[in-house]
Amino acid sequence: MPAARAGVAVCLLLAAGGAYAHSAARGAGDFYAGALHALTALEHVLPFVALGILAGQQGRKGQPVLLAFCLALAAGATVAIWTPPLPYVGLLNIFSGILFGALVAAAWSLPMVFCFGIAALFGLTHGFANGAGMIAQTRPYLFIPGVALAGLAVTAYALILTDYLLRRKAGWIHIAVRVAGSWIAAIGILVLATSGAAILRG
Amino acid sequence: MMTRLATSLDRSSWIMFALPWLFWPAMAMAHVGQGNVAGGFLAGVAHPVLGPDHVVAMVAVGIWGAQLGAPAIWVLPVTFPIVMAFGGVLGGLGVPIPGIEIGIAVSAIVLGGMIAFARRPPLWVAAVVVGVFAIFHGHAHGAELPESANAISYSVGFVAATGSLHALGILIGAANRWSAGAKVLRAGGGVIAACGIYFLTGHLVAV
Repeated sequence: MPAARAGVAVCLLLAAGGAYAHSAARGAGDFYAGALHALTALEHVLPFVALGILAGQQGRKGQPVLLAFCLALAAGATVAIWTPPLPYVGLLNIFSGILFGALVAAAWSLPMVFCFGIAALFGLTHGFANGAGMIAQTRPYLFIPGVALAGLAVTAYALILTDYLLRRKAGWIHIAVRVAGSWIAAIGILVLATSGAAILRG
Repeated sequence: MMTRLATSLDRSSWIMFALPWLFWPAMAMAHVGQGNVAGGFLAGVAHPVLGPDHVVAMVAVGIWGAQLGAPAIWVLPVTFPIVMAFGGVLGGLGVPIPGIEIGIAVSAIVLGGMIAFARRPPLWVAAVVVGVFAIFHGHAHGAELPESANAISYSVGFVAATGSLHALGILIGAANRWSAGAKVLRAGGGVIAACGIYFLTGHLVAV
């Protein structure tokens, strides 16, 4: 996907411009619009948290997964500039929460290729769903970094907290981390069922 | 001086306790207009907590898990929410399970009986007993999901309330360490089974 890659490069170049606009206290609103678009929807925040915990469970080598996720978010949001809204992307995002949560509950040590793969794939879908929230007046070069950095921040906080908790000796804390994943997976299954029921009913 | 301090502390703690309740209706009202996120969450929390048959059986699951010890005590809280959600899917899609309320009452009797007689069956038997209850419990709530509520915040509240009831049961079950506590737990199991019989007769009479 050279177009998406070029999009990311352009965004990264223009992000500096965004920061400049912020320091001049002018026109930075779209950055926050992007960040809040992701942060105020549980359908994004819960999978983000689950991915952060999952990366934290993988130890030190899990950290670059979050960078891949952040870049995929930006790429997905960039694709949404030219692509009309796709149906069922929302369902894929809910499914990502189920997958990440179930993997946290299972507490397996996963192959890194797999971790990068799911982070990139669902980074694209979450990024796309957020990018579809842009309207004609929105400046993508501010909005998209907002989305991507919000995703990085949430996953990174979850990773740091998980890393801290898993260093404790008490066994129940390790179970509590897995229970958190189980809760997110259960929430995702319930939401997917209700969304699915709504689609079946028409 | 000390008594004055104590009374003033007491009064302030009462005020602090009362304040949230004063603001509660206003808060709830303010959010209902905005996509019903808070309303959905509250409905999700209220649903499992307000059904005494669910509360009793769920706390019983936690107590029994604590009584069984490892590995049941950690298998249970990790797998229960996912199995329950599966039941919720069946309920949400309208797949009928006959005798749901009777099944929940019976699971309170079975779980209470297990605790009262301190039974330690193999893990898979315990998993099946708890799993059947988890599916019934999830189905009953999934079938009654309010259309107007925000589906995600409702599910968050529902899962969090269920998990907290388990945690409560596991905390109570920690008393199993002491011999006197173990006896109290077994007596509690008898009470839980009696509650189950009460719920069951209620449903049978109603039918």
